[in-house]
Amino acid sequence: MLRNLIATLPLAIALAVPAVAQDSFPDRSLRIVHGFGPGGNADTVSRIMAEQMSQGLGEPVVVESRPGAGGTVASGYVAGEDPDGYTMQLLVGGHAVAAALYNSLPFEPVDDYTFLSTIGQFPFFLAARAGEYESIDALIEAALADPGSIVIGHSGVGSTQHLTGELLGLETGAEFIHVPYQGGAAASTALMGGEVDLIIDTGTVIRGQADAGVYDVLAVTSAERWPDSPDVPTLNETVAEGFDVISWTALGAPAGLPENVEAALSAEIQRVLAMEDVQAQIAALGASPRGSTGAELQALIERQIAVWTEVIDTAQIERR
Amino acid sequence: MIDQFLMGLSVVMQPEILIYAFAGVFIGQLIGVLPGIGAITAISLLLPVTFYLDATTSMIMLAGIYYGSQYGGSIASILLNLPGTPSSVVTCLEGYPIARDGRAGMALFVAAFSSFVGGMIGVAILVLAAIPMTSIALRFGAPEYAMLVVLGLLAASLVGTGSQLRSFAMVLVGIALGLVGADATTGYYRFVAMPELADGISLVSLAMGLFGVSEIIRNASNRTRTMTNISVTMRDIIPTRTEARSLLGPILRGSTIGSFFGALPGTGAAIASFMAYATEKRVSRTPEKFGTGHLPGLSAPESANNAASQTGFIPTLTLGIPGDAVMALIIGALILNGIIPGPRLMVDQPLLFWGVIASFFVGNVILLLINIPLIRLWVLLLRIPYQKLYPVIIVMICVGVYSHRTSVTDVVLTLAFGIIGYLMKSYRFEPAPVLLGFVLGPLLEDNFRRTMLIYRGDFAIFIERPISAVLFACTVALIGFSIFSTIKTYRRNVQTRGAHER
Repeated sequence: MLRNLIATLPLAIALAVPAVAQDSFPDRSLRIVHGFGPGGNADTVSRIMAEQMSQGLGEPVVVESRPGAGGTVASGYVAGEDPDGYTMQLLVGGHAVAAALYNSLPFEPVDDYTFLSTIGQFPFFLAARAGEYESIDALIEAALADPGSIVIGHSGVGSTQHLTGELLGLETGAEFIHVPYQGGAAASTALMGGEVDLIIDTGTVIRGQADAGVYDVLAVTSAERWPDSPDVPTLNETVAEGFDVISWTALGAPAGLPENVEAALSAEIQRVLAMEDVQAQIAALGASPRGSTGAELQALIERQIAVWTEVIDTAQIERR
Repeated sequence: MIDQFLMGLSVVMQPEILIYAFAGVFIGQLIGVLPGIGAITAISLLLPVTFYLDATTSMIMLAGIYYGSQYGGSIASILLNLPGTPSSVVTCLEGYPIARDGRAGMALFVAAFSSFVGGMIGVAILVLAAIPMTSIALRFGAPEYAMLVVLGLLAASLVGTGSQLRSFAMVLVGIALGLVGADATTGYYRFVAMPELADGISLVSLAMGLFGVSEIIRNASNRTRTMTNISVTMRDIIPTRTEARSLLGPILRGSTIGSFFGALPGTGAAIASFMAYATEKRVSRTPEKFGTGHLPGLSAPESANNAASQTGFIPTLTLGIPGDAVMALIIGALILNGIIPGPRLMVDQPLLFWGVIASFFVGNVILLLINIPLIRLWVLLLRIPYQKLYPVIIVMICVGVYSHRTSVTDVVLTLAFGIIGYLMKSYRFEPAPVLLGFVLGPLLEDNFRRTMLIYRGDFAIFIERPISAVLFACTVALIGFSIFSTIKTYRRNVQTRGAHER
């Protein structure tokens, strides 16, 4: 009896599934893939989104980490998946950097994607040991007076932080020595120990030391002053007019997503981003929660690819 | 300090927090036993839980997983030759031969007790000297790290039973393997045969393959079905009085070495445990016994890696600087709770700061209490016949390796390293120095090239900076001592031969 019941089960499911699928997306679990280690910023943002989207969509959203080669392993994987909306990717600012930095990628950074929405945007801050430089102008002046005297520690070759430092050199004409560390925390330790003179990193890396008076925050890389630190001047208003670097997290999916699926996912993302809890969690990670249209996200990425390509060319950074 | 510590203790003693402390160390212990699945996987899975806990409780639980897994790591190393972390590689060297000898229970007891003492000394240093240790750690810049690693590499070639020349050759092989991946200074790809290797060979693959899988292959080709004469009576588990007395020195030396290295962000437990091992071998009157199941060689590195995993919290708590990837995760949990870790943590959140430190004290006691009764159970695992036990272990290794980077390539590489490890053992080349070279090589390269960048290629910097100069002098002295003793032995041999001829 039981065996008979079980035997008919696949048939029953087969009959039931298409009926639902025709009028409702989604009818099974979805995935958010990202290219970084568990517990990192990308992973945490993915989990925050996945948890809320599961409830809104009525199907579980699973987070999958496929780390490697600065996130490009995951991108190559997602770009090859079916554009059915069940596979999404959490993209970060490094996506635009990778497009400029790698000689050959197993995917097209723009054309292989249906972009959905940004999630959070955040700038980088420039910090020096407290009392060493009165202002960002003083630091640039010192760098111009004695080329190569100022050492910038960054979180790895080809990181957005590194390229931002190179861009600062190009825009101001100052010559810096750029030294790579294994991650922002190691660069911060080097600043504290006196080995480097300046670091450029996110608020989460810098704020703890700044609050304790160990660091002076000299400037922010966004075009406008950042809401949570209104006293910090921008590079744009001080030493490098037009300087505008922000990084971001966003959601995308393989190119060719059906319009109704794209609309359903975008609407769900905007709903989640409007939630107070989610806004607080994203803000705790040092970002401003900001949604966007897919077209706005695509424009942002295309603009940044152009900027980083120029920086990499001019600074003669080795392409991979 | 003591007052604040007692205040922290009163925080931990609240039943609710105590339960989470217990849960943390218990999960950590279990995770540590599973081959290949480290604290990092466990903590990232539990991170969402901390959304619903307050900052102190989350920190106490996550930290418990971290140092609990250090305890657990030694169990798989001793019983099955499976090092979960680089710090337990040296535990395999002595612990596994003891287990094969039928005295696994005693090895586990000595490991647990050494770990306990090491952990407690680490906590004591954390309470009494966190601030001075922090300022010492900050004086370690690129030149100091480079010199420290040179010293470490030299110590690495002392690890191993056979000839030092063979060990040294294996260190070089390890360094070569460490070159695979993106060059940290220029970003240029070296030996990246496939995109999965862009971030280098996985340490877990290498360790699991060279140690665990190769050992399984070797046993499979033997006729024996299980380990013989396994004893689980209490009398056989506890070491004799003479044995216990011989462990006092190694435990104290190991704890001191571990406490120091733990406080340096980025080097931590891995260097600590085999520096302790190499030191023991140097000071021992019977260095030839190392590698054959010598208790001091087991207890020194065990105390060292547990002391290091406690003092590893010094930079994390006093500066908000994570010493390794696991610490970064723990700090992430703090950030999600709205606390920005930094130098003000101790002042702004004294209950959290001292509560976490006091929880280490309590956690170590809990670990010792749950470990001793479990020893019997672990040892009984070895009564399972090989043909049933090993397939399960192979599957667990594959799952563990896969879970690190979701990479099938890593799993295939693990099995390949297993075969290579088997061949190496057949020709008496040891795997431990390979692993040490693999861990230390990239550290040396990064810090050396960083030094050259910052000081514009000035080699004199290594002897101009005081700490670096001292480390350099130690290295030279160690090389000098080795050459001197080699010549002395050679002369003696020549003289005795000469006497015979006359």
